[in-house]
Amino acid sequence: MRVARTGEDYRVSFAAMATPCEICVQTEDRALAGQLGRAAQQEALRIEHKFSRYRGDSVVGRINASGKDGLLVDAETGALLDFAEECHKASDGLFDVTSGVLRRAWQFDGSDRLPDRARIAALMPLVGWSKVRWRRPRLRLLPGMEIDFGGLAKEYAVDLVLRLLTSITGEPVLVNFGGDLRVSGPRKGNAPWHVAIESVDKAGTAAGMIQLLSGALATSGDARRFLMHGGVRYGHILDPRTGWPVEDPPRSVTVAAETCVEAGMTATLAILRGPGAEIFLKEEGARAWCIR
Amino acid sequence: MQLKTRRRGRVRKRIAKLSAGLLAASLAGQSRDAAAQYDTGSNDNFGPGIAYSQLDAALLIYQEPGGRVSATEPTLDLSVHGADGRELSLGFVADAVSGATPNGAVPSTLPQNFVTPLKAVGSTATLTSASGGSTIIHLPPTPGQLAQAALGRQYTVAADTLPVDKGFRDHRGAFNFGWAQPLGEITEVGFGGGYSRETDYQAITSNAHITQNLNSNNTTFSLSLNGELDSSFPFGGIPTPLTVMNAQWKSPTSRDKTQLGFVAGWTEVMTRWWLTQLNYAFDAQSGYQNDPYRVISVVDPASGQPNSSLYESRPEKRQSQSLFWDNKIDLDPAVTELSFRYYTDSWGIRSKTAEISENVPLGQSFYLEPSGRWYQQSAANFFHYFLVGSQPLPQYASSDFRLGAFTGITYGAKIGYHINGRSEFYLKGEYYTQMGNRHPADAFGQLKQQDLFAGTNAAVIFAGYTWDFH
Repeated sequence: MRVARTGEDYRVSFAAMATPCEICVQTEDRALAGQLGRAAQQEALRIEHKFSRYRGDSVVGRINASGKDGLLVDAETGALLDFAEECHKASDGLFDVTSGVLRRAWQFDGSDRLPDRARIAALMPLVGWSKVRWRRPRLRLLPGMEIDFGGLAKEYAVDLVLRLLTSITGEPVLVNFGGDLRVSGPRKGNAPWHVAIESVDKAGTAAGMIQLLSGALATSGDARRFLMHGGVRYGHILDPRTGWPVEDPPRSVTVAAETCVEAGMTATLAILRGPGAEIFLKEEGARAWCIR
Repeated sequence: MQLKTRRRGRVRKRIAKLSAGLLAASLAGQSRDAAAQYDTGSNDNFGPGIAYSQLDAALLIYQEPGGRVSATEPTLDLSVHGADGRELSLGFVADAVSGATPNGAVPSTLPQNFVTPLKAVGSTATLTSASGGSTIIHLPPTPGQLAQAALGRQYTVAADTLPVDKGFRDHRGAFNFGWAQPLGEITEVGFGGGYSRETDYQAITSNAHITQNLNSNNTTFSLSLNGELDSSFPFGGIPTPLTVMNAQWKSPTSRDKTQLGFVAGWTEVMTRWWLTQLNYAFDAQSGYQNDPYRVISVVDPASGQPNSSLYESRPEKRQSQSLFWDNKIDLDPAVTELSFRYYTDSWGIRSKTAEISENVPLGQSFYLEPSGRWYQQSAANFFHYFLVGSQPLPQYASSDFRLGAFTGITYGAKIGYHINGRSEFYLKGEYYTQMGNRHPADAFGQLKQQDLFAGTNAAVIFAGYTWDFH
């Protein structure tokens, strides 16, 4: 954990959830910044340990390893499953936490290797929320199926960490986990936070500056994770109905909303619409930035 | 390119509501004592869904001014939460109550004597010491009143003073338990029971409830059924209603009361910062409802002087309904709770309650919670300050001020200190004032110069300690 002073703020950075995490607090109190950093890191690690699909002892690891009797899950996991189910419905099946198994076929490493169609077809029986039996508190998957909260956990962690930090301090706070962020409210003197949106092509250069007084920002996109084949760019977001990457998605969609979970889900649903992303965001009245 | 339109579409509206619901669902044990929790540097905090137990020990001290009722009540509550939503709770209460309670009679410009049973001569009934300024008297048999010679306890109330019985002293012990768990598609089912015992009263309670969350936990419906069996075995036996107060040992020695009821509830997460709850409750009671120690004065139709005291009489049946609306409003960082209740029953009592409390964090370890409560009720249709000697006796009559019209206001404040992430100490003080009609329009003669309202003020102090552990 690193604590650094920049301008009027203390920035505390640490690694969790496979991404750089940072909290920024407008205060003179270094000890407070350290305390907030520890609290944030601990909560982020709790969520990571609980929902990582790479850990056998996580809830997700145990769900994916459970047999035909399934697994009894706790209330927090249940709430996430309910949320995933409702988002599946609201998106007509586009958002699906069971689509992670398709990654066995797809590798988004910037190369031009497309998977074998037969291999994707063989995985498709394991994809689809409708095949999951979710009756709180028991979750049952078909053998071989997996669930993955990867598209959700980071935003969820941002919201929970922000709530935790605002319960500790009244100072203005920004929580930023790998570009998904939320602020506690305006900075002192009702001033906005300045947040840069990353460019998609030259990593690290600012493509735009957003002024944020309240709420959250989340970005979904494939700035670095993609496949190029035959001049077609395949993004890393897969359509669970076909097993193939969404065609012609924007490279990046950033959405502003009240909560990070809401912003992230809206951005993900936009990307899943492919060429219709902008129309979707406009129809839904989202405050959003699209980069093609 | 930036896309800008602000009217929310169907999908986004739904996502917004779902997101708020998800975060609300995770709120449970999360933020409350977060600050202190992380100070300890321990890394086994209890996130939602992690098994833990909670112990709450508290001491309540209740005091009415002027030597009226005082009570000391230690409580101990333990709840064990399983990771899969199962919960076991146990509670223990003990209390000691003593002091003076209004016996129901009106004050008089002359001193008044009251007699109550002590024991029959030669009986083996336990003799409670005659306390609180009373004397033991020997009563010869009196036709129509005392069948045989008896010992009585007599106490004298000075002129122009509210008659109170100072011999009131009791101990109570109570125990309750509850179990709740998810069941299949049902969010939670549970049942519980309790037993409470004091020298002259016993209560056995049972309940069962079912709760269903819908709409991504944004909506909760609940239904609970409650049953209660109470037994009253007053010292001196059960007096016959509207007979003259005397020292006779009475029969029967005990009577029961049953109560059945249900509460139907609806809770809705309206927005991320507003949670609202609506409860409807119905109760039906049947059996012995009288206060066996309470009398009502029969006054002289001309002078208004009390001539005799009759044991009170209440209907054996009572049905009540109430509607309760509660709101929790989380305007960071303070949390406001605002509630209203309307109550009506078959005895003619209608009451309204409004209550507000505000939880304000003070720094990192303290919080302050001021609260206020306003209560107003109308009188039961058989409530009388007194009965008039020349008029026929009604079927039911009680002068219990709790059945009369009054307004009560409670002010309180709670201060809490998070000792660490696992434990909290809290101190709560409340002051209660009761206001009623001290000079009702139908008072006449000497009653006009008396304060006929027996309500009182009370102070309550609560000190407690909560400890969470694995």
